[in-house]
Amino acid sequence: MRNRLWIVCALLLTVASLAYATDFAVIVHPSNPVRAMTLAELGKIFRGKSVTWPTGRNITLVLREPSQPAMKFVIDKILGIDQEGGKAILTDASRKSASPVVFVPADEDVVKAVEASPGALGIVDVYNITGGVKVIHIDDKQPFDPGYVLKGH
Amino acid sequence: MKLIERGLIVFLMLGGAAGAVQAQSKRQSPAKQGSNFVAAKDNVPVKLDTIPVTTKSADARHYYELGMLDYEDLLLIDQGVEYLRQAVKADPHFALGHAMLAFATFDPAESYKHRGLAKQYMAGAAPDERLQIRWLNGAKDGQIVPAIAAMNDLLAKYPNDKQFANTVAAWLCTAEQAYDRGAVILERVLQRDPEYAPALNDLAYCYALGGRAQLAPPLMDRYVAALPNQPNPQDSYAEISRMMGNFEAALEHYNRSLKMDPSFTASQVGLATTYALMGEQERARTEYLNAMSMTKDQPTIMNYNLLRAMTYFRENHIEEGRKAYAELAAEAHKKDFTVQEAEAHRAMALFNPDVKGAFHDLDAARAALAHAHVLSAGDRNTELAQILQTRAYLAARSVNLEEAKAALGPLSEMAQSSRSNVVQQAYHSANGAVLLLEGMYADAVSELQYDPRNPLSLQLLSEAEIKAGEPGPGHEILVKLAGINDERIETAFVVPQVRAALKAAPGSPAQPAATQPAAPAQPAAALTSEIKAPPRSSGFRGGPLD
Repeated sequence: MRNRLWIVCALLLTVASLAYATDFAVIVHPSNPVRAMTLAELGKIFRGKSVTWPTGRNITLVLREPSQPAMKFVIDKILGIDQEGGKAILTDASRKSASPVVFVPADEDVVKAVEASPGALGIVDVYNITGGVKVIHIDDKQPFDPGYVLKGH
Repeated sequence: MKLIERGLIVFLMLGGAAGAVQAQSKRQSPAKQGSNFVAAKDNVPVKLDTIPVTTKSADARHYYELGMLDYEDLLLIDQGVEYLRQAVKADPHFALGHAMLAFATFDPAESYKHRGLAKQYMAGAAPDERLQIRWLNGAKDGQIVPAIAAMNDLLAKYPNDKQFANTVAAWLCTAEQAYDRGAVILERVLQRDPEYAPALNDLAYCYALGGRAQLAPPLMDRYVAALPNQPNPQDSYAEISRMMGNFEAALEHYNRSLKMDPSFTASQVGLATTYALMGEQERARTEYLNAMSMTKDQPTIMNYNLLRAMTYFRENHIEEGRKAYAELAAEAHKKDFTVQEAEAHRAMALFNPDVKGAFHDLDAARAALAHAHVLSAGDRNTELAQILQTRAYLAARSVNLEEAKAALGPLSEMAQSSRSNVVQQAYHSANGAVLLLEGMYADAVSELQYDPRNPLSLQLLSEAEIKAGEPGPGHEILVKLAGINDERIETAFVVPQVRAALKAAPGSPAQPAATQPAAPAQPAAALTSEIKAPPRSSGFRGGPLD
């Protein structure tokens, strides 16, 4: 019977559903005291301009491969440039020691890496987060909030 | 579906729940379902590979098992909810029972009450059971981020709890529209148990709704084979077939379902709608009447009547359609069926050839909400958002910026505070309509892309793409639109126009629909009337929503 109800739900969109399907979550290790940052601050981390957390620990970015479709949106929103430009910034050899970027194949790998690394910052589809990471607010909003900046189409 | 509140889907729910009750058949022993209850006497889990369930009452445990079996495995939704009610009655301190009831019920007040009780008694539950309560409650009360974290932790810890995984995936693929994540979970369930029927059904829908419809029929074959004497697999197969434009197969499966169970109302309504989509409106009306005779539930009968009235618009009998809808609006008003009353007026607006008259129809729809006696704020906002979105759409079609802005204003306010998908998407759609009228085509595209499943928004999106200098994507959207086969009023209005326009376009590719009913009358400047074939081909991709 759910078949008919599925159609009603997914096609008619007359549901009190509370979420979009593709919000991206910015995640850190639970021990990281940071609870929020601005999109501009996140952009600085992406560009390698901010390299440490307030605690002094180095920031390690953990991301999916920049050529993946999901990263197009992330790069556009955070860096305001196209995927190729973003890839060039994120893979710039000069930033390796100060603000390393680790690329992994899938969201699950991003989550595992952030769970294991107190200095890590990752970005994943919010539906892949676990209790082993902390989702931080961006511009005072978190995924599913109206106006959240990393809300995908 | 289980997350849908009854009031919000009353218009087009089509008696699914009633059909579910009627379709109830042989029930397996709950003991075979792999539950993991903790009895008060021994306090030892029966099984270690499913999430624990703590209750002090053997009766509560029994009813909970029956409830989950009906609700999740047999998809007998109403019956399942009733068992869950009995479970918490047998053990008022049964935290997970309260949370599951709150998750499953269509009654917002009941849901709110039992979420509170689940929190109140949560301390008595096992740690992982508390995680499940956190997911169930969070999914309903908007605490989605911690809910997802709890959900994924449980999925990792209990990979063999297929009932939980199936419940989660169904939520992801319906309420959340997170089709990829839902499909991954269901694929894992089926790797462990290839014949687990609920997952076969749900994965087929997850694929179909997520744009991979071509993967659904093989799953339907397996679902039918797993439950050869049940009507629901046939009904599912019919619905999937219809979504893909294979109307003959849909009719065949609906008829098989009805042969197994002549009281399976969902299949009777499915049969009627399939005839409507095929352009056989007289036959559709007869079949809708048959469906009405199968239920005594008054809101359900009203819903079927609204679908029946739509058949007049489908065949361009505008006056007869308006007369039928006006009578239904009056009847709905008398019976306090507020959403149906508003929807009747909204339907009249969409098909009104006179745009000023259409705005008056929308005024009437809004007025219906104003004098509602029994409508929650959430239900009201949902319906109001759809009315305003329709207004913005009609304003865009009639090139009336002032009207579009007037519709956008209240939607903008609503979107500031509401997380509702309906409200958010209606806002983006209306904003896209305004931007389109202001000539800001790229921005309009960006906004309209937030509402990718509404034919009204898709039609505007196509126009915005074309005007932004992207005829290829614009044409692809039209082809996608032309492949939609469902019972929404928006589909009935937009899709025939698009099919006609595609057919008329020079050098247009093959038409995707198996049958193409007549296009409805145009109330204003038809956005698709000047469609030209794009400079490059964009093949039809098979699924209705891909």
